Amino acid sequence: MNRETLKHIIRGILFLIVQVLIFKRISSGSQWLWVYADIFIYPIIILLLPIRMARQYVIIIGFLLGMFIDMFYDTVGVHAFALTAMAYARGIILASIEPRGGYQLTMSPTRNSMGINWLLAYTALCLIVHVFLYFTAEIFTFVYIGKILIKTVLTFLLSMMAIMGYHLLFNPRK
Amino acid sequence: MNNLLLFIFRYSAFLLFVLLEMVALFFIVRYNEDQHAIFLNSSSVFSGKMYKMADNAYKYGHLKVVADSLAHENAKLKTDLFNMERTFQHYSVAEKPIDSCILEPYKIISASVINNSINQRNNHFTIDRGSRDGIRNGMGVISPHGIAGIVDEVGDQYSTAISVLHSAARISASIKRNNFFGSLVWKEINPAYMILEAIPRQADILVGDTIITSGYSFIYPRGIFIGTVNRFWTEGGSNYYSIEVKLQEDISRLDRVYVVDYKEAQPVDQ
Repeated sequence: MNRETLKHIIRGILFLIVQVLIFKRISSGSQWLWVYADIFIYPIIILLLPIRMARQYVIIIGFLLGMFIDMFYDTVGVHAFALTAMAYARGIILASIEPRGGYQLTMSPTRNSMGINWLLAYTALCLIVHVFLYFTAEIFTFVYIGKILIKTVLTFLLSMMAIMGYHLLFNPRK
Repeated sequence: MNNLLLFIFRYSAFLLFVLLEMVALFFIVRYNEDQHAIFLNSSSVFSGKMYKMADNAYKYGHLKVVADSLAHENAKLKTDLFNMERTFQHYSVAEKPIDSCILEPYKIISASVINNSINQRNNHFTIDRGSRDGIRNGMGVISPHGIAGIVDEVGDQYSTAISVLHSAARISASIKRNNFFGSLVWKEINPAYMILEAIPRQADILVGDTIITSGYSFIYPRGIFIGTVNRFWTEGGSNYYSIEVKLQEDISRLDRVYVVDYKEAQPVDQ
């Protein structure tokens, strides 16, 4: 295991801890957020994986991460469903916003390497897939479609702020 | 054969994606059919421990508030107790029950909520008491200002309870003023309100009426204050009122709770 892999794993664990111990509490415990929104920061783990990583691995990691999050949200399968789909969609989205000349070996999906516009498009497209499918999977149990749409939009905006906030504050290179 | 292998190789990412999505869907559907999907429940030791640690850290923040509310509750209980004893004093010696006659069907186990949700359709919370503290399946959980839920799955050290904000929760409740009773359910709209159903039309109801537990089930003792009537209406043509009850307890801030062990409870279906 080289240093890069180790760094990804440690950072991933930190994101998971932040998600289940802080953001989960914000969304389920506060008076002004509970009605419509959650904050999801954990999709950033999939977003930060190396661009050239094999898609099969990304999908498997997505599924396992989703199941792990489900364990804490008591929503068996819902996060796994959404995150697996996002991991698959990531491949398509990466291909569709590929810069002229393709991805270089040294490029990674960060502001430093790809610029803010690319990063915004990439994050927004992946995240909207994830959030929309998350609430679609919850539709199995949900009756109010209007509420689902509001939840999707608000959750998307809040999660987007959290993820872009991380990029702007910490400016990761890899 | 060669072509098949080539096909699998070329589309392996897609096939893997479809396979894993089917697994996830299977979990979702199965979970919704069967509320007892234990396998990833937060009463499991791993997430239970983690929540407990985090909760310890969070609790420092409002220790004073908790202590104040417990002191208030103590004061109220002491008031009730003294009033009760004073009332007994008015009985003549012959009528006064001797100590051994006082019934003790209830035992209360105190617990602390370490994980809670209110924004799903079926909400659960986890408490830090389990079978070794005497918790059993189906016991009622009450909170300082009302009712909180029903124990659902019991682990060794932790248990999970279905919240009153759960589609399966039906609580037998009555109007204190005239004893009409019905069942209290949650309609997934707002965690501060529940709906009291099946109150017949001849009942006279006023906004602000007190709703208490009816005691017609083994889960909760009679007379626990739940909330007050906020508004009421009849669905078209129905002979029953639907009553919106404003809960006294803020379920999103559950902290200290009490589990009710009713010793005469029979193992019947709720």
